[in-house]
Amino acid sequence: MGAKAAKDPVPRVSIPLNPVFGWTVGNWMENFFDGMKEGKILGSRCPDCGRVFLPPRMICERCFAKADEWVELPATGTVQACTEAAVKVAENGDMVDLENPEIIAMVKHDGADTCITARLEGADASIGMRVEAVLNPGAENVLDLLAAYRPMG
Amino acid sequence: MEKEAAIIGYAQTPYEADSNCSRELLVLQATRAALEAAGLKREDLDTIVTANNDYLDGRTISNMRLVEPAGSWRKNESKVEMDGAFALLYALTRILSGDHDIALVVAESQASVYGGILPGIMMLDPTFDRQRWLLNEVSGAALQASAYMDASGVSEEQIAGVAAKNLDNAAGNPLALRSLPGADAAKVMASRPLYSPIRDLMMAPLCDGACALVLASGKAAAKAEKPVWIKGVGFAHDSYLTERPLESMNSLKLAAGSCYAQAGIEDAASQIDLAEVHERFAHEELMSYEALGFCGPLQGGAFFDSGATRMDGKLPVNASGGAMGANVDCGAGLARVIEAAMQVRGDAGKHQAKGVKTALAHGQTGICAQENIVYVLGGE
Amino acid sequence: MARNEVAVVGVGLSKHVSKRRDVNMAELVWEAVSACYEDAGLKPRDIDAFATGNMPAFEGVNVPEEWGAGHWGAYGKPVLRITTGGTTGGSVAHGGYYLVGSGLYDTVMTIAFEKQSDGNSTMGLNTVALADAAAQLQLGVDPAFIAAFGGGAVGVAVYQASSYMKSSGCTTHHLDKVAALCRNNAALNPCSHLKQPGLTPEEVAKTTLLQYPIRFGHVCPATDGACAMLFTTGEKARKLTSKPAYVLSVASCSDEAALVGIAGSGTTNVDPCEQESCKLAAARAYELAGISDPRGEIDLAEPYSPFAHQMLMFYERLLLCDEGEAPSILDSGSMNLDGELPVCPSGGVISTNAIGASAMERIAECAMQIMGKCGERQVKKEVHKAVAHGWGGAVNLNVVAVLSDTPRR
Ligand SMILES: [Zn+2]
Repeated sequence: MGAKAAKDPVPRVSIPLNPVFGWTVGNWMENFFDGMKEGKILGSRCPDCGRVFLPPRMICERCFAKADEWVELPATGTVQACTEAAVKVAENGDMVDLENPEIIAMVKHDGADTCITARLEGADASIGMRVEAVLNPGAENVLDLLAAYRPMG
Repeated sequence: MEKEAAIIGYAQTPYEADSNCSRELLVLQATRAALEAAGLKREDLDTIVTANNDYLDGRTISNMRLVEPAGSWRKNESKVEMDGAFALLYALTRILSGDHDIALVVAESQASVYGGILPGIMMLDPTFDRQRWLLNEVSGAALQASAYMDASGVSEEQIAGVAAKNLDNAAGNPLALRSLPGADAAKVMASRPLYSPIRDLMMAPLCDGACALVLASGKAAAKAEKPVWIKGVGFAHDSYLTERPLESMNSLKLAAGSCYAQAGIEDAASQIDLAEVHERFAHEELMSYEALGFCGPLQGGAFFDSGATRMDGKLPVNASGGAMGANVDCGAGLARVIEAAMQVRGDAGKHQAKGVKTALAHGQTGICAQENIVYVLGGE
Repeated sequence: MARNEVAVVGVGLSKHVSKRRDVNMAELVWEAVSACYEDAGLKPRDIDAFATGNMPAFEGVNVPEEWGAGHWGAYGKPVLRITTGGTTGGSVAHGGYYLVGSGLYDTVMTIAFEKQSDGNSTMGLNTVALADAAAQLQLGVDPAFIAAFGGGAVGVAVYQASSYMKSSGCTTHHLDKVAALCRNNAALNPCSHLKQPGLTPEEVAKTTLLQYPIRFGHVCPATDGACAMLFTTGEKARKLTSKPAYVLSVASCSDEAALVGIAGSGTTNVDPCEQESCKLAAARAYELAGISDPRGEIDLAEPYSPFAHQMLMFYERLLLCDEGEAPSILDSGSMNLDGELPVCPSGGVISTNAIGASAMERIAECAMQIMGKCGERQVKKEVHKAVAHGWGGAVNLNVVAVLSDTPRR
């Protein structure tokens, strides 16, 4: 290896890269958000293999078929993976400590084959735990329509 | 593959939290040193593949200002926006096509100039997960670890043990950023909690650095000293993280399958002498033992406990310290290939393992190791 | 290792329009991908590997295939991401050539796309210059000066255009004629974006002057669109179709980045219209393809020309005539659909620019013209050999591919 770089401080300029993007979510996700505004959880089903996608996907990756059958799914599901977050990611990318740790869970709704990741209310979580979605049909921001999950019973 | 392409030179810059120099300078250092190691000049290069990422470099078309330092001025050049281990595959196909004889692969990034784990968050589904600000590379890895622990019964202490092994090995690697000679699981368990079960010392440290490798066709490699032959390569992409079972690395298994078929590996645990795996999180190393066929499904913890993957074991894994020692985005996978080649040549110095004839190297890209690539390397 | 012959057996394009609000990025790409499978008569299970790329800063999604590739039939397969700016589509297609040519993968799908309406492309292009702007700030250059001459593509193009005009004798009337020729061709292409049937050079000349010599009518639109191509071995191609388009060669060449000067005006070393790297890439591609006389042997050209002057400039740099001859060749009618060496029969990038996809669409058009699949815009002469080009970076990257109706050698 050649000589190491000189250790004089290098001049730095900070350039924030935060342009505004306007992603099109597409008709499938729009249907999903519209459903939640009415308190319904809508998944898309592959006509070939019967897999149900939640959040909905337009194409089944296994069959390359259009998942154009719609099914209403219950708000209940099972935790597939979970983690207790001691930190959160700040806007600059640093992981900063949370005052109160929170649970993030990957939940498979009953009848679905894919997962939604969301906060789980309460302090304890385990894989296999039964949970239900906390829906907020009146929420202004579509991302708050499915606010979190809470343990059942 | 039988003597069709060989690694004939390589170099890594030191890995540092802040290299305090431009990325162009890092690339220039790595490129020059790799060419020197191969006994070649810039003029000898037929094709150059860089591995870098617009988000990590904070600029569009991030390869275009690497033309000069990567030696690709007025040469055939392209960029793979993945880990350098994947760029190596592209270079390999360029050589196997017969159009080129000598290729340079160079990978770089500088964690000191990009926002920590933000570029990973930008990989998420923009229509949903990206905007919810819960998933990132670390929380995703934590969710994967929880699913794996639940399925396999592996404990946090075992995961911490893997990190400790690699941090101890890193003490023998002069280029490593982070090392903890004599580290044990308790020390790792005492580090800062991030997303359970992931703690600071279980996460490979992002850093600044570059590495480069020179690949030659069989014909061109015949003249080289100690060529390290590529015996096989396999590569696969997995489903998005919320759409697959997280407790196994299916795409790594697929990649290993096609690599082993080319390399004539039937029993990985006995035919492979050493492995360098790209473990961005300690539990991924345990999962990779299974996917690579070193042990049976869900047996990663027991295989680790057997001591087989320690420096003095029958199949040392990450003798260099692996990514736990230094994890340059875009570079750490290529660094695994370089480290594996060093071991085959017997040039690894203080972290040289004994009797390495056939070595495996692994690289990955994406959240929860979504895309995986595997190489088997050998000497004569 | 016996090197494989490489052939194109399928092409698929999505609709190309300025804003697609009914589909997201992954779904838009699916349209091209599924059209491509259909065109070739293949299914995802027949594909051994994928290569893909776009310009990620435009849409703000890093490595978009991590969530998108499932929509493209890539589950469990290798997906190699190749991105090189404006040349991306060409670089990805070159990846298809090498992956098949290597013998490691028999059948490879290449995918390139841009959904410009999701993001902010001028922002994307300006980040090309941002890091350089930072350096200039350190040097004490007035920030207002940098802002006024930002690194967006129009900034680069005006210097290149005026430089080319000076060296070639090309006039603004030639620029108007190029725009009219391309937009009329685009009108015959169902997948093009800006269709202006009957557009005349006089009408182009009346559009707003952006910055001399470039008028609004000389500039490409911003497009949402995707392109997919299927590459396979010569042997397999002959079983799949009676008329595959063989890829005889690919070559790329990277020159010094010209951003060091102001707004890409170039340094003392690089004149942005010189494009030495295009000449080198073209010469190498012809050499590999066994073409000794490109002027006599090439039947069709698809140069990458988001700005009108570039069609003429790159026609010269692709070694299809002497320098300075292209304007008079345009005047002769040779570049028309019924001419001796038709240029941009697709309508070119000036009519359709889904940036990441554009350089692949040049190769796709050459393949389709060879396969005789171009319908109304099929050129009059029989196409035996065609050359496709891509241009990008800071006016410093060029990619060239040569396609043919007969295999190499
Ligand atoms: Zn299905």
